Amino acid sequence: MESQDTKGRIVKETFPSEIVSIIGDILAGVILTLILLNFKSFIILILIIPALLSLRGNLSGPFIARTSKDLIIGEFDKRSWIENVLSTYALSIVTAILIGIFSIMLDLFLIKKKILSMEMLIIIPIIAILLTLSISIPTSTFLNYLAFRFGLNPNNIVNPIMTAVDDFFTVICFYFTLLMLGVP
Amino acid sequence: MDYFKKIFKESIIIIIISSLMGLLSGTILSMNEKIIYAIPIILLILPSLNSLTGDICTVLTSRLTTHLYIGSIPPKVQKSERLLQDFIGLLITILLSLLVLIILGFMIGISTGFNIINPFLIILIIILTTLSLFFCLFIFLLISSIYLFKKGKDPNNTLIPFVTSLADFLTPLLLIIFIIIFI
Repeated sequence: MESQDTKGRIVKETFPSEIVSIIGDILAGVILTLILLNFKSFIILILIIPALLSLRGNLSGPFIARTSKDLIIGEFDKRSWIENVLSTYALSIVTAILIGIFSIMLDLFLIKKKILSMEMLIIIPIIAILLTLSISIPTSTFLNYLAFRFGLNPNNIVNPIMTAVDDFFTVICFYFTLLMLGVP
Repeated sequence: MDYFKKIFKESIIIIIISSLMGLLSGTILSMNEKIIYAIPIILLILPSLNSLTGDICTVLTSRLTTHLYIGSIPPKVQKSERLLQDFIGLLITILLSLLVLIILGFMIGISTGFNIINPFLIILIIILTTLSLFFCLFIFLLISSIYLFKKGKDPNNTLIPFVTSLADFLTPLLLIIFIIIFI
């Protein structure tokens, strides 16, 4: 599949997904701006958001690439998928804790506002990332499988579409997390 | 649980670095908020611009990895028809996507009442930022994926998180640098 892709096929398969990604990201940006501006802790939250949005690259991107690679080279099975999912969740918890710790440090030494408690800065990224992954993992697996089944290259299609899905749901899940925790 | 351990072990360090870079990106933006808010169209399209570079690099990494696994490119840094097809295909995709992104961004910007100063210069800065990142990252990804593959590691696990965060960090940085130079 991969070895036969011409430049035309790469454009044909990647460009439409990229359009979805662009539209999704512009929507995510608009929603993000409208939502975050209403919070008193905006200056702190805006620090966390770029790190949360990079979730697609840190966690979802490799998960999708591993799944599509396993499908293409014929190593995809239930066990490999479960291990792939578990490792993605384990990595996500580590990532979320790190985002929380670094946010605390930036707040303490650079921004010096201390609007949110330290516990809150740790809990917000953990819940937001876990919620997002719970939507992202089943969706991307389904899309990967669907693309492969219809003879399309999952590498070209799934990642750009999932960028939009991930970014959009990161913002939505972030908002729900803030509401759940009663963030000012 | 061998696959779990392999993924976790190969990804953990790069994820720590990537998380740091994500937060650096936020810090750069907040430190240069005057520049960003003076040209709000940049702020509007920044998430999409970050995604575009990240997406193309992710597609490229996963393609290179699969090429290496199935043997359609040799594990050596050398010119090949396969690489040329990938390069041109992704370059055309990035140019077409930029066109759509700029049209959509400007349409939304105008409809929401943003004051767009020097539109042609801003378009030039956006194109210059994206293309310079693409050329540099293509070479970087090719060399790195071959190196990692030769070491018996899956380039997907290391390169995708790293290059996406690098793109998230470098895109606003280059945009700000080009704005300072040109405007």
